[in-house]
Amino acid sequence: MQRHFRPKLRLTGIQWALVAALLLEVILFSIESPAFLTWVNLMEILRFSVELGLLAVALTPILITGGIDLSVGSTVGLVAVTFGMAWQHLHLPLLGALALALLVGCLCGAVNALLIAYLDLPALIITLGTYSLYRGIAEGITRASVSVTGYPSGFLLLGQGYFWSIPIQVFVFLFLLVFYAVLLHRSKIGRALYAIGFNAEGARYAGLPVRRYLALIYLLSGAVSGVAAIVYVSHLGLAKSDLGTGFELQAITAIVIGGTSVFGGRGNLFGSVLGLLFLCVLQNGLHLLAAPSEATGVLTGMLLIAVVATDLLNDKRPALSERWMRWKKPLLVAAGAVVVVLAVVLVGLERSSRSEAGAASGPRRPVIAVMPKAKGDPYFISARAGAEQAAKELGVDLIWDGPTSLDASMQNELVESWITRGVDAIVVAVENKGSISTVLRKARQHHIAVLTWDADAEPDARDYFLNQATPEAIANTLADEGARLLNGKGQFAIVTGALSAENQNQWIAFIKARVAERYPQMKLATVLPSDDDRDKAFSQTQNIMKVYPDVKLVIAISAPAVPGAAEAVQQSGGRVDVIGLSLPTICRPYIHSGVVQTIVLWNTRDLGYLTVYAGWLTSQKKIAPNATTVSAGRLGSLEIKGSEIILGRPMIINKGNIDRLDF
Amino acid sequence: MNPRIREAGLLLTIVALMLLLAWRTTGFFSAANLTDLFLANMPVMMIAVGMMMVILTGEIDISVGSIFAISSVVMGKCASTGVPIWLSGLIACAVGVLLGALNGRLIAYVRIPSIVATLATMVALRDGLRWYTQGSWIQGLPAGFQWFGMSQSGFTGLCVVAVVLITGLTALGLRNLRMGRAIVATGSNRMAACAAGIDARRVVFGVFAVTGGLAGLSAVLNSVRFNQIPSNSGLGLELKVIAAVAVGGAAITGGSATMTGTVLGVILLSCIGSALTFLGINAYWEKAIQGGIILIAVAADTLKLQRRDHAKTLPA
Repeated sequence: MQRHFRPKLRLTGIQWALVAALLLEVILFSIESPAFLTWVNLMEILRFSVELGLLAVALTPILITGGIDLSVGSTVGLVAVTFGMAWQHLHLPLLGALALALLVGCLCGAVNALLIAYLDLPALIITLGTYSLYRGIAEGITRASVSVTGYPSGFLLLGQGYFWSIPIQVFVFLFLLVFYAVLLHRSKIGRALYAIGFNAEGARYAGLPVRRYLALIYLLSGAVSGVAAIVYVSHLGLAKSDLGTGFELQAITAIVIGGTSVFGGRGNLFGSVLGLLFLCVLQNGLHLLAAPSEATGVLTGMLLIAVVATDLLNDKRPALSERWMRWKKPLLVAAGAVVVVLAVVLVGLERSSRSEAGAASGPRRPVIAVMPKAKGDPYFISARAGAEQAAKELGVDLIWDGPTSLDASMQNELVESWITRGVDAIVVAVENKGSISTVLRKARQHHIAVLTWDADAEPDARDYFLNQATPEAIANTLADEGARLLNGKGQFAIVTGALSAENQNQWIAFIKARVAERYPQMKLATVLPSDDDRDKAFSQTQNIMKVYPDVKLVIAISAPAVPGAAEAVQQSGGRVDVIGLSLPTICRPYIHSGVVQTIVLWNTRDLGYLTVYAGWLTSQKKIAPNATTVSAGRLGSLEIKGSEIILGRPMIINKGNIDRLDF
Repeated sequence: MNPRIREAGLLLTIVALMLLLAWRTTGFFSAANLTDLFLANMPVMMIAVGMMMVILTGEIDISVGSIFAISSVVMGKCASTGVPIWLSGLIACAVGVLLGALNGRLIAYVRIPSIVATLATMVALRDGLRWYTQGSWIQGLPAGFQWFGMSQSGFTGLCVVAVVLITGLTALGLRNLRMGRAIVATGSNRMAACAAGIDARRVVFGVFAVTGGLAGLSAVLNSVRFNQIPSNSGLGLELKVIAAVAVGGAAITGGSATMTGTVLGVILLSCIGSALTFLGINAYWEKAIQGGIILIAVAADTLKLQRRDHAKTLPA
């Protein structure tokens, strides 16, 4: 047991196995995908792992003391918006904003430190509270809708530039890694942290300043989260209140895979870095193989259990000699890890065999990569059906992948991996134009056709925008429909998606503008979030009907919110009209029952069809530079305005036409 | 250490909130609103009962949201393919128990720390479900699906009975049954419990299976309130439940939690969101206020009582 007390920088058995598994992973991915083992791709992996890596490094000593910090992801969000707002709205100089933001990060850490170290409160519950508190403050001060972009290029270098063809933020990471390595493995404090993890009471009796050291690492964790936030803002070129959502669990996953025990006392920084690299390589490799994003989560979960279980398996045999243990451990872990990596390869093989089945011989089929904003959204699911139809018709390979929930950073990461993979066209439904444009420009430099759909990027970052309807047109149609139902006067309420959703906030702004301009007697009573959850939209609408009895119209502007709002109205038997933006399939029962008067939408299946068709046309250079129309397969001739391909006006769907629509 | 003080504090907070609502708003205490509030938070209440037992044994379960989503989808898939509704419900509950048992197995017998094991199952199950459903909703449910074919008020009555039975029987059981005492004993000192002849592993396995089952049951009762089932429900449910149990005074280190506290915690946290709307406070601040309440509730506890054994309550 004495060995454990010496906080060494040497790799333990599990970590050797992890090194082996990582190498195996790298070898398998490079066999499967030639683009994997290139300098550019490896540097991209590093770039995308820095933010998470900073959090993992800061969390490692906390886990070693047997504590936990769930608030790091929320701290990232709060520091990011503080920085953005201080710079843009308080007009502080960039360095001043930076200092203020880092101060806020330290403050976040200090609150945790005070409550956990000095008031003896359980870390799990305290940081669960601050997890909610910090994110809430970030949403509150920005009203969840402000996203700050337009940073000077000097600042963006930090997150997007290179130094000796190594991403600049990697140096920030290395600096902090060395700092933490010294702190944890080469200092008195590090040694004390292990002692606290083994037995806090014992450490106290041994005369160690337990509270002060605990406070220090929680404080540092806040500060490092602040640094991660600044790097992240610079990387994305964007500060928004939802940045860093879910980072805490990913960071903890990386640490635990790296062999650190959540019970404290065991683990080291090397392990965390290895675990982090393993996860980031896995994610990158899966993207390059065009395996669906969901595979990453399933495999990570399995890996987590495999690693920890194999690690524990040894403890059951205390009688075995230490020498045997030292060699048996890595073998067992390697076995577990290999199983998982094999699963990865199976997925990859299955995918590539499926895509090669159609074109065993003959020329390479063009690959069109289409990205929705969020894969699980019913709206994008129905677009996918159209995209698959077009791919079949044209004989091209379709990669359909995107974040599982709204996530601007994940979109960038996917585009990067598609560039590396070498697709022919990239068609993206943009979550945030500020953050994705840089990487889209890079794709164009690689001679990939770049199109946007659903929402646009910067015009110079793409070849064409597939314009299904502008936010303004959607908002105007909704406002006009609402005014028609209310006869131009009365109160209405809006049920939106998540408060920080970019599209929805645009629509709300345009609805407000339209109402102010044309229907002065209409009044917006309230805007409530549904978080894209049907059940929450249901409760919110129930509340609206009770709190604002004068509201006669609910405009629900997220696909799951319309059926939620409609069900609430239906169950209460109230006389409130519901209109909104949603899909015919999930609204059909309510349109038939008359609760939902109108939904506004375009033909999502046609839009999906157009993504692939236009992507293919552009990649084959089949659209003349000054063309005013384009022939898009079964959609016939579509108008081109500037660099926008117009799908048509938004449709007004009601009782009369809903049964003719099958999407 | 006296849970009664915590409960009294919670009760006072709730009463204060209620008075504020009675003073500043109309309609919060209408039967319709209380019914809606109850139905919307029924899943949190039911799962909180299981979570309280998990926390009593000194463990934690962050996979309940994913289990909730899977049970909902199983319920829908069965019902839409013609399986009788009561049987679909049973199958969905069984799936919940099974997934809970998987957690229990990994934690009690493979001895993976519960936060790691349930983190793994939370991520893997959620992404697995997304992979399988591709996000599509379940539609085409049979006519008698909504409210089990009962009237709306009849169904509400059924839910009230279910919640009262589950909380009441659990409270009694924890106090009086050998099983219940075993749970408390395991949490307060596992070694002592083992020495007293309690199979601690079976206890831990059991509470996770029960929690999974409760997640399944609440998913069944929640899905029949509607006539179609989204495939991505229950996101963030685990945090709501854990926060409610923690606010209710459960010690995260195990061995100490009361049903009264848990119920009060659930009531306080579920009223907040709705209360903000009634008071006309902007929804942007909801998360911050919830976080603040968790911190205050937990911090107030130690400020009131001078604890002597500091080291014992350090994060462990």
